[in-house]
Amino acid sequence: MTLFKKFRRWVDEPGNSLVLSGSIMFVTVVLMGILVPLFYRFGPYDFVGDPLQPPSLTYLFGTDQLGRDIFSRTFHAVYRDLGVAFIGVSIPFLMGTLIGIILGTSTNKWVTNLIGSLIDGINAFPLLIIAVASIAFLGPGLSSVIIILTLVNWARYAKIARTKAVVVSKANYIEAAYTLGYPKRRIFRKHIGPNVSSETIAFALGDFVLVVLLVAGLSFLGLASTPPTAEWGAMINEGRSYLISSKWVSTFPGVALCWSAISVSLVVDGLNRREGKIQ
Amino acid sequence: MTQLIRESGNAEQKVVDNRKVFAVEIGLRLIRAAAVAFWVTVIAFLMMRLAPGDPARNSLGIEATQQEVEILQKQLGLDRPLLEQFVNFFSGLLRGDFGTSLTYNREVSDIIFTALPTSLWLVLLNSIIVWVIVIPLALFVATSKSVIVAYVFRSSTAISIALPNFFVALLLILVFSIKYNWAPLLGYTPDFPGNLRYLWLPAVVMAISGSIAIMSRILASSISDTLREEYVETGIFRGISRPRFLFYYLLKPSLAPTVALAAYGLGTAIGTTAIIESIFAIPGIGTELLTAVFSRDYPTVQALAFIFGLMVVFISFVGDLLAYWLDRRVKL
Repeated sequence: MTLFKKFRRWVDEPGNSLVLSGSIMFVTVVLMGILVPLFYRFGPYDFVGDPLQPPSLTYLFGTDQLGRDIFSRTFHAVYRDLGVAFIGVSIPFLMGTLIGIILGTSTNKWVTNLIGSLIDGINAFPLLIIAVASIAFLGPGLSSVIIILTLVNWARYAKIARTKAVVVSKANYIEAAYTLGYPKRRIFRKHIGPNVSSETIAFALGDFVLVVLLVAGLSFLGLASTPPTAEWGAMINEGRSYLISSKWVSTFPGVALCWSAISVSLVVDGLNRREGKIQ
Repeated sequence: MTQLIRESGNAEQKVVDNRKVFAVEIGLRLIRAAAVAFWVTVIAFLMMRLAPGDPARNSLGIEATQQEVEILQKQLGLDRPLLEQFVNFFSGLLRGDFGTSLTYNREVSDIIFTALPTSLWLVLLNSIIVWVIVIPLALFVATSKSVIVAYVFRSSTAISIALPNFFVALLLILVFSIKYNWAPLLGYTPDFPGNLRYLWLPAVVMAISGSIAIMSRILASSISDTLREEYVETGIFRGISRPRFLFYYLLKPSLAPTVALAAYGLGTAIGTTAIIESIFAIPGIGTELLTAVFSRDYPTVQALAFIFGLMVVFISFVGDLLAYWLDRRVKL
């Protein structure tokens, strides 16, 4: 009972209800992404029945134009869509935070200004545009998307980390740590690092939403995953031709995509409100 | 008292060399924009090196003969040293020569000039829709004391940011083009009043899936910062009329911090035109980019990516200047 009361009190704090509902939505889709491939009777590439069957008890989300089960395909896509986005966010996050800290604490003005303008130059390209353009050279595929995100997206993190690192390194407690004679490594690891990365982690969560949408968007254009792969963007694109007669072909993967992106977006918003960044 | 006098003395001094300060500030911003534009050029140039193996071979495919590959290498300038290639690329861009398209056999600058106005129309229409909605919305949300308003605003913008624009586009096509026939499904006319018939739905899609949410959040939080300023309280005490209060006391000072971020938002909007244009089959620069990507038309891809980057550099430069003009306290 007391645990329940504690929980009630936690939920009543500002932002926590959003964090909770977003997390539940996210965990649901991840769980389905694990359970459906393990236990569901139809595989994502099996031809299970007549094409373009409406949703029914046999085919929960209906079948697509080739007679494949959309329910199975929608949830087989979870690990691909969210997994690629996860990798595509974590690598730039680590790289960018590290580079940003180095730039923010370095005293060499020339180098920091030069790399600073390079970062601005990379950030000048809208993410979708540079991804589309680079795929012309790299060839389509999810691995290309990860390569591009690694090459490009670190700059956004570096920009944030640098700004924060400049502020942090001038803070009183860093000076105090130096005065106390702490070694430089310890100051970077225990003081500057955590303070800067708290800022980039917050950005990474919001970025995750954008990258999920980017991966699906590129697949929708036929530039990341291509048919017959079970991937939300590619599936939505396949269903385009049947939009009028068989809406379910595009709608179910689309709803799964919206559901996942919205869940993370709600968590981000809740966390921001907890931190008191917004009223 | 003495402090007050000293402060007013400083203010006078500032007025004296204001023009000089202004020129220096503009100069600094110009130098920075030029440096960023230089990097944009370098990145657009290096893009072709991303290709594993030989770009000419990749472009032509496996069936091409060695001779054909060599001819294309020569055409793209790949047979010369890297630095010379870059100098040629750079000086070409300065002269407005973006190279020749491989598939159309026409100048890339020609493609840009025909396609760019269409995209700019789309972005302009989107911006108009966004700001017409955002200004009253942000004023309402920021001045409202209701918890429910704040809650609904925050959650709905969080949802709106997470909406995939291409999926929203398909749903709206289903409703407005197919069910009600309010918007044409395909086609385009480039002349002014006629093109709005084709552009309104794509612009609305872009507004719903992101732009309105981002902009209204920025403006609303800027307005609630302004609300805490003392002169706003003074305004309330003096009994200023409500419209005057909203526009002169709240909106105008809140715009300065928003402008730089609005420029960023505009840059993002330009990026999304690629996917939106391709869905609605609007012959803009985004559609041209995708066509070039699919046909492995490397010079066109490079030039169009460069144009996109340059547009964003230009927009953020203007945004910077505007922010400085609106509020001189804004630093680089």
